[in-house]
Amino acid sequence: MRRTVTIPAICLVLALILCAALCCNGFKANPPSKAETRVMTFAKHYLFFGNKTQRNPLVVSKQSIADGKEAFTHYCVACHGLDGQNTGVPFADRMSPPVPSLASPDVQSYSDGQLKWVIDNGIWPSGMPGSKGTLSDEEIWSIVVYLRNLPPAGSLGEPEMYSH
Amino acid sequence: MIKSFGVFSLVLAIFFLPGPFFLVHASPASGPKRIEVTAKRFSFDPGTITLQRGEPVILVLKSVDVPHGLRFRELNVEVKSPKGGSGEVQFTPDKDGDFVGHCSVFCGNGHGSMTLTLHVIG
Repeated sequence: MRRTVTIPAICLVLALILCAALCCNGFKANPPSKAETRVMTFAKHYLFFGNKTQRNPLVVSKQSIADGKEAFTHYCVACHGLDGQNTGVPFADRMSPPVPSLASPDVQSYSDGQLKWVIDNGIWPSGMPGSKGTLSDEEIWSIVVYLRNLPPAGSLGEPEMYSH
Repeated sequence: MIKSFGVFSLVLAIFFLPGPFFLVHASPASGPKRIEVTAKRFSFDPGTITLQRGEPVILVLKSVDVPHGLRFRELNVEVKSPKGGSGEVQFTPDKDGDFVGHCSVFCGNGHGSMTLTLHVIG
């Protein structure tokens, strides 16, 4: 009962903070303040991203990593780069919030289930789209495997779309 | 001498060549069952196939629009088809159950929901 009251209250506070931030910024895509980042990081980890306990049904292997890399290449590279670390993505730092490196401790600290949830549903209002239906569950789980086994930054070059 | 060698060769050809030719032509009738599947954005037709465990089959995948693929991870079976073309794979299901195959070539917005179910019965 207490939890059911607490969560809406926290969401309301976050919504007010978001509105205040939007009003102060005048809707420009300025980098978020440290306070915004902290609040949102907390909220994402503990409130918004579900599926925390679900385990990845795929076994980590050369094949599953390769499958994940292939699926990632179809759909994710435009924003995250081939290496998941934004290499060659010209607008990665200009979005608000900026596109995170998927190798960063913050992203890696989510559970496999939470990463699946994020890929399924996207993150409003960051610009991260949901992929449910566009990619199969199997492909999304293989992307999670790939995210846990990313290559060194820059080792795969930049996406072809930004080379022309 | 040359003439007799020619006759001998002809006799050999008459007696031995038809055998292999016969086998080649006969094999489709007694070979694996062929199943044709049509792929188009964003479905397979048919969407469900029933197979007998241990019975070899050739799965023929035809794409009518963009490149598609069909993969059954649990059976280690995959076939791809180019745009407007076809591809095939031969396999023998070795376990019972329902196996869901997915399109393995990214084909657009509904790609993730493009599935085909194999019922394998014992």
